[in-house]
Amino acid sequence: MSVVVENISKSFITKNDTINTLSNISIEFHKGEFVCILGPSGCGKSTLLNIIAGLEKETSGRVICNGKEVKGAGPDRVVMFQEPALFPWLKVIDNVEFGMKLAGIPKDERREKAMKYLKMVHLTRFQNCYIHELSGGMRQRVALARALTLDSEILLMDEPFAALDSQTKNILQLELQQIWLETKKNIIFVTHNVEEAVLLADRVIVMSANPGTIKKEFHIQLARPRQPENIDLAYLAADIMKELKEEVEKVAKAEFDTNWTSKKDLILPDSDSDMGTGI
Amino acid sequence: MSIAVFASAKRIFLGYMLSIIIGIFVGLAIVRFKYLDENVSPLILGLQTLPSICWLPFSILWYGLNESAIIFVITIGSTFAVSIAIESGMKNINPLFVRAAKTMGAKGFSLYWNVIIPASLPSIITGLKQGWSFAWRALMAGEMLSATKGLGQVLMVGRDLADISQVMAIMIVIVILGVAVDKLIFGRMEINIRQKWGLDKA
Repeated sequence: MSVVVENISKSFITKNDTINTLSNISIEFHKGEFVCILGPSGCGKSTLLNIIAGLEKETSGRVICNGKEVKGAGPDRVVMFQEPALFPWLKVIDNVEFGMKLAGIPKDERREKAMKYLKMVHLTRFQNCYIHELSGGMRQRVALARALTLDSEILLMDEPFAALDSQTKNILQLELQQIWLETKKNIIFVTHNVEEAVLLADRVIVMSANPGTIKKEFHIQLARPRQPENIDLAYLAADIMKELKEEVEKVAKAEFDTNWTSKKDLILPDSDSDMGTGI
Repeated sequence: MSIAVFASAKRIFLGYMLSIIIGIFVGLAIVRFKYLDENVSPLILGLQTLPSICWLPFSILWYGLNESAIIFVITIGSTFAVSIAIESGMKNINPLFVRAAKTMGAKGFSLYWNVIIPASLPSIITGLKQGWSFAWRALMAGEMLSATKGLGQVLMVGRDLADISQVMAIMIVIVILGVAVDKLIFGRMEINIRQKWGLDKA
């Protein structure tokens, strides 16, 4: 196993009171596993990812990565953010090489490897462009290539496709799936999109909110590569959605001013009512 | 005339370079050490509001009526503008850049050199530009009061001789020099960066 999260809690202290964002979370992530952490907005899933990355400090508990306790951010746990976070003063190829440059890899080797990963995300034609010349989806692909170059076993992704349009998102999800199949990294992927989680993950961890705890785990044992049109995905998504819906409502009630209630959705398919189709 | 321009150019070059070096040093120190930030920044802001000509009596008493006095005034006139610009430039960079760089293994010096400095370059250049205009003003003030040659001194000679055409001519020369430096040096740097960052598309 490569990453172990042990009894992590995180609370923020504000002027009036303390907010418990995460409470007593323990998860094991295995080598080469694709795990999605799914939860309503504000349940602390990004905070959890940041703690694993070492960008935020936990209030209690610890994160162990390859047998060593995590003390800060490092190149063994590369993060991909919702925004590409590429450097506008560097060309595409230099952006991809950035991490390797910090690691002190010689120039020729660096260039060769950068080209390999740019090829993987189909962007070799744009290697000498500046970042502002690329579209949003292309930028995110450059960020993915940059994250892959460091050869870390663990890749943390914080809603990397959330800001993209749905067509681009679909393409990138399939590309990510392909890249994962090729590289077999341990990807920890935070998202609020159920379909995305079901499409990509081996294991989906549903979090509840206020305070953030693990609500349920789903193992998804469908064959890969998966296609988003696959009907089995829809059934699994519906199952997970049911679990999630309760939490979303809870958050909405806590965050909205008025007494907010949602009507029960009668159309949401229930896999029990139609036995046989999901097999 | 060319002697005057040359003398002024030499002074401002020296004084401005000094102020950039000191300004960058002070700015970096403030960004790096929180203790300095809390205690020195207000002082620097206060000193920045002090017009550079106010330093002239001090520097004449300290150095005497010579080159060093004027260069001191130029340096002190623009150092604070430069260091304030560097400080605010580095504090206002997108925190996402720093986070991304940290997860790729940047820390300490390499974080500053590879991320924080390039990310704050646009505002640093603005600061250098502002420092340049402060230096130029300080130079004129210094030369008018205590120089034996230089543009400011020629300007004062024009006044003494009641020669308005000379006065006007020198003023025009000063403006032209200022614009030329701005266009040729800072302008190019700025255009270069704006193109790279894609800021000129708006």
